[in-house]
Amino acid sequence: MAMESDLELMLRVRAGDAASFETLLRRYRLPLVGFFHRMVRDRALAEDLAQEAFLRIYRARERYQPEARFTTWLYRIATNLALNAIRDRKDEVPEPASEDLDRGPAFERFVDPKPTAEQKLLEGDRQRLIRQAVESLPANQRAAVILHKYQEADYRQIAQILSVSESAVKSLLFRAYETLRLRLEPLLREGQI
Amino acid sequence: MNCLDRERLFNYAHRLLGEQQAAQVRTHLGECSQCREAVNHYERLDAVLQEWKPQEPSAWFDARVRQAVEAQEARRAARGFWGLGWVRGLALASLGVLVIAGVAWLTHRHRSVSTPSTLATQQPPQTTAAQAPAEVAKLNPRAVTPRQTEKPRMPATELQSAGVSPSEDEDARALDDYDLVADFDVLSELPKKGARVAN
Repeated sequence: MAMESDLELMLRVRAGDAASFETLLRRYRLPLVGFFHRMVRDRALAEDLAQEAFLRIYRARERYQPEARFTTWLYRIATNLALNAIRDRKDEVPEPASEDLDRGPAFERFVDPKPTAEQKLLEGDRQRLIRQAVESLPANQRAAVILHKYQEADYRQIAQILSVSESAVKSLLFRAYETLRLRLEPLLREGQI
Repeated sequence: MNCLDRERLFNYAHRLLGEQQAAQVRTHLGECSQCREAVNHYERLDAVLQEWKPQEPSAWFDARVRQAVEAQEARRAARGFWGLGWVRGLALASLGVLVIAGVAWLTHRHRSVSTPSTLATQQPPQTTAAQAPAEVAKLNPRAVTPRQTEKPRMPATELQSAGVSPSEDEDARALDDYDLVADFDVLSELPKKGARVAN
């Protein structure tokens, strides 16, 4: 049996089919929780926001119009929630993520322009450094990179999600990737001879 | 050799250039090691970023979402007609105020109009207190009260011939306050001139 498209499922949800909503939930729970986790860093908050996103989709089911891709609608809701959460937490003192607590200031060592042999990092450390580099981006650049790199959204979709032009998305992504390239340069050099 | 600008190299690495522009960049990369390294870094950056694995949802995540959806449905069902909250509440409150105001106005208007007209219909011209006081009293006792009724007065000559002084006429008026004025027989019961009226 062919897999039903998101559009078909959402139209059934709109007609009151709870089972189709379950299918959408199973299909998008992992990408959505992952998206929020990358955006806000906090695991509990990421799940709360993902739950809220699903709830909003269910609440808005009767008004759903299949004009754009379902994922565009889904990530538009999700991105707004994430950006609001980041804005709300802006004044709070940032707490270190649980995985950072017992590992020391690896990022500071990592961005040292003269890396040493001791700075060969374990896989976990590499992930942490990548995360810290992405988290250091401004919120809209971070959203664009996460949508582009991890949610596989194309430029047009990102433009619709962020309500900006495609050329603005190109500019946003170029600046973001350029920053990441500089911050992660030691990792990028590792494989080179 | 002059290096290409970074944005162009980035667009090349992300396959955002048209075929002609991409061919020009390819030619340049064959001759410029710095630009080649920059493109190589953009491509490696893609691979490095993939190392950041997403967080798995907790085991109870689906149950929480289902619970939240069910709770929302329950609230919606409980609200029923009041689902639109303040909009419907305001509309109904306005309607209630209008109904109450309308009823109050109609009641007031009905009272102010109906009282005199009722009297008029129950007091036909031929049934004045002088002609048929008993009937009028039966129909509407208030209609024959002394202050509202045309009271027959005994002419002064008749009073004198009956031996009643003007002050006794006042007594006769006082009697009006006790009973129907139209009953002239009561006058015969009045005390004669000079007699004391028992209290």
